[in-house]
Amino acid sequence: MAKRIAIVEDDPDQRSNYTDAITKKGYDVTAYASRQEALEGIEKQLPDLAILDIILGDEVDAGFQLCRDLLAKAPSLPVIFLTERIDEIDKISGLRLGAWDYLAKPISLDYLAERISSLLRINEVRNSAVSGQASATARQIGDLSLDQEALLVSWRGDRIDLSGTEFRMLAKLVRVPGHAVSYETLMNATMQSLVTNNTINTHMRNIRKKFEKVDPDFACIKSEYGFGYRWIAS
Amino acid sequence: MKLFNRIRGPRLSTKLALWSLMLLVVPWVSYRQLVGIEQLLVQGQSQAQLLTAEGISTLFNGREDLFNDLPVSLDDYEALYVRPLRAPVRIDGRMSDWGESSSHARRFGVDGEGQLSDGGFELSLGERGGQLHAFIRVRDDVLVMRNPEYLRLDNADHLRLSFIAADGEDGRVAITFPGSGVTTAYKMDAEWRFAEEGAPDNRVQGHIEELDDGLQLEFRMPLEMLGSRRYFGLSYVDVDDPETREIRSITQTLPKAGKESFNLVVLRSPEVLNIIQGLGYSGARILVIDPQNRVRAETGNVGRGVVTREPQRSWLDAPQRWFGAMRPFVHRLVMWQDWDVEQPTEDTQAVADEVIRASLAGDPIALRRRIGELEIIMAAHPIVSRDTVLGTVVVEQNIDEILTFQRLALEQAIILSLASLLAVFVALLAFAGRLAWRIRKLRREASAAIDQYGRLKTSVLHSEINAGDEIGDLARSVSGMLSKLHQHNKFLENMPRTLRHEINNPLNTLSTSLQNLAEEVPEVKDSKYLESAKRGVNRIGAIVQNLADAANLEDALGAEDLEVIDIQQLLENYVANCDLAHENMHFVFRGTRTPVYARVADYRIEQMLDKIVDNAVDFHRSNTPIKVQLDTHRDMLRITVANRGPTLPADAEESLFDSMVTHRSGDAQNRLHFGLGLYVVRTIAEYHGGSVRAVNLVDGSGVAIMVQLPLAEPEVRTEIRASREPQLRSA
Repeated sequence: MAKRIAIVEDDPDQRSNYTDAITKKGYDVTAYASRQEALEGIEKQLPDLAILDIILGDEVDAGFQLCRDLLAKAPSLPVIFLTERIDEIDKISGLRLGAWDYLAKPISLDYLAERISSLLRINEVRNSAVSGQASATARQIGDLSLDQEALLVSWRGDRIDLSGTEFRMLAKLVRVPGHAVSYETLMNATMQSLVTNNTINTHMRNIRKKFEKVDPDFACIKSEYGFGYRWIAS
Repeated sequence: MKLFNRIRGPRLSTKLALWSLMLLVVPWVSYRQLVGIEQLLVQGQSQAQLLTAEGISTLFNGREDLFNDLPVSLDDYEALYVRPLRAPVRIDGRMSDWGESSSHARRFGVDGEGQLSDGGFELSLGERGGQLHAFIRVRDDVLVMRNPEYLRLDNADHLRLSFIAADGEDGRVAITFPGSGVTTAYKMDAEWRFAEEGAPDNRVQGHIEELDDGLQLEFRMPLEMLGSRRYFGLSYVDVDDPETREIRSITQTLPKAGKESFNLVVLRSPEVLNIIQGLGYSGARILVIDPQNRVRAETGNVGRGVVTREPQRSWLDAPQRWFGAMRPFVHRLVMWQDWDVEQPTEDTQAVADEVIRASLAGDPIALRRRIGELEIIMAAHPIVSRDTVLGTVVVEQNIDEILTFQRLALEQAIILSLASLLAVFVALLAFAGRLAWRIRKLRREASAAIDQYGRLKTSVLHSEINAGDEIGDLARSVSGMLSKLHQHNKFLENMPRTLRHEINNPLNTLSTSLQNLAEEVPEVKDSKYLESAKRGVNRIGAIVQNLADAANLEDALGAEDLEVIDIQQLLENYVANCDLAHENMHFVFRGTRTPVYARVADYRIEQMLDKIVDNAVDFHRSNTPIKVQLDTHRDMLRITVANRGPTLPADAEESLFDSMVTHRSGDAQNRLHFGLGLYVVRTIAEYHGGSVRAVNLVDGSGVAIMVQLPLAEPEVRTEIRASREPQLRSA
């Protein structure tokens, strides 16, 4: 059975473009133009994944509200924000709400499809992990444990919640510990079309902060000024 | 021209001070006014006196009888003037109670040296209550008193009075005295030997007092004894030898070779005097003069009147004295004419004569004249009777009171107006100073509201906002302008972000549509047009992103955590990585030997270096190295990035770091340049409390961009160094 994807986007052109592209990938796509419409539709049938725009019509925070409502119904539902609001504060609040990913417009449709499939896969793995199967794909780098399939990261046994982009960047960084990874490589890892050094720095700082939350002495991510970053095994 | 432009006119306080000088017109006007008042008062006084004189003269109009009691001509007679006595006089042989009439003595029997000879006497005559008073001071070396045993009366010193009695008969009375004390008078026979009657004539009462060199004798007699013509003579008969009792000499008032044998007793006509007596008033003298210039009656005097001068406060004295000295100068300054204290100094006697002459000619007249210290006004009005002038009434009054009043008023007016002028001047100056201070404060705050790059520092003013006056209005209006400008600025600042929001959606449509198109129509997938369309979309996205980043930079910086790091290490790393990142480029780093700690956000410093190095790379001449240098100076560290290449235009150094300013020449490489790079550098440097500037190298071979940042606090530096030491040692 095809996975059901819900898309909420007020711009009809973009909506139809997403719908066409994702339908082509073999998903069952339902598109909504407004928050109420989406709520009603989702009420009837819960999708397997939701792609939300934040600004819907006149409601500037409709996406956030929708996300909250959806997660209240289905806490494990993967939610992707796809929006033109790319300010730091919006990103942070989106991810805090429990969204799995925060993608900025303009987006590559291939990338979007990739994200969808990956998140659905992760969700499956997680669901099965939750149901008792130990993860076989986890990789151990020093104190760091990295599960590529489930996008699960833990540091000294403590689970660390990283967004998809952050996970991929971290994965790139730790592929060869001690080796400096350039900005360019990290940019590719984000799989986003428009990334500056600054964006990388912001992501890296967020990753660091998340690690520091569980381990204040965390100092494995080192900046290579003018080049990129380096993972130093402690 | 340039100089002219620089002169902007005086400051506010100077202007107000200059304007306040206009207050000087106040003393000027009051001086003029006072001089006018003085003239008016003097004029009024003249008029009043003239009226008084006229009023008095009307009392005499038609009263020829009062003036006809004297012969028309006095030329044939020696007149003995009788003065009215003001107070009752005791007949006691002393003159102390005669008042001022005592000084009008006439001398008879004067020797060549002006001294009284033996038997000479001084005579004073007075009149009171119808009695003729006489006081005689006789010089007599040997006094021979009357011996009552002799019947003859001419064998001792005695006084003879001769007159024509009321009945027209000759009157002869001798005053005899046996010694000091009361005298006795007898009517005498024609030879002056024996008394005509045995009884003394008690109408003549006298008193004598002996002196070392003579005697004093005072007596009185009723005026009516003299009759209406008042022919009167007086002689002193001197007897020196008590044995022979021969008459040695007779000193008389009678003319020695006169046509008539009598003196004429000229009285200030009592009737006239009585009439004017009650009319006299303080500080005024009233004279009645007949056409022969004889003073017929006189009352009052022009001595210093009872000028009620307020006791003066001492603090006014000094200014008054000073003012007295200044008066001529002030007068000349204000009135444009010389100050002449001696104004009425034409021969004052001449003035008096002229007044009398004019009024006797029938014209009322009033003139100012001066007697010694006193200034008086003389007003004269003729007394007429059937077209003939009987005489004139002269009213003299001193105007000291007016002058005193005027001087006092003048002094006070000038002093008060000078004092108020000074007070107003000071108040104005203080007011102006305060105004200027407030305006300066407002100006300072207003100009501080916008920094040197034209950015708003604050959206409201705080000073003078609550003031109710025009400065408050100005402050409020400027504050309103600022807040409007602030809103507008906010709008402009948000513009890139809004723009990005708005552009991202259609851009996304475009981008996804292109992708869908490529999926749907496989033929176009390899079309170069699709590729170029995709590139275009990417560029627009990058442009919008850059703009938004730069606009957000200041906000984003605020969210950064600062930590103390070693800039030396950072730079060393960075430059090494630059060498790797840029092919065919050579970077040279010259750092310090020791760590250089600064409190920074390292990503931002990196971002800043990126922009500087990008800039240096873009402008460098091929095959020349880019030099990066770090050094410290006091509390600051300096990062210099220098490249050889084109130099900056002279005017570019200031604006180089502003937003949207680029000094790149037209050969656009395939990169995005909005002049944002160096703006980012400046914003980051300033956020860290530092500064940035671009200079041409001294030899003109290129450009150096220098960033100055503050070093971390010394205690933090030592702390970090201390914590690093063991690590270094272990390493």
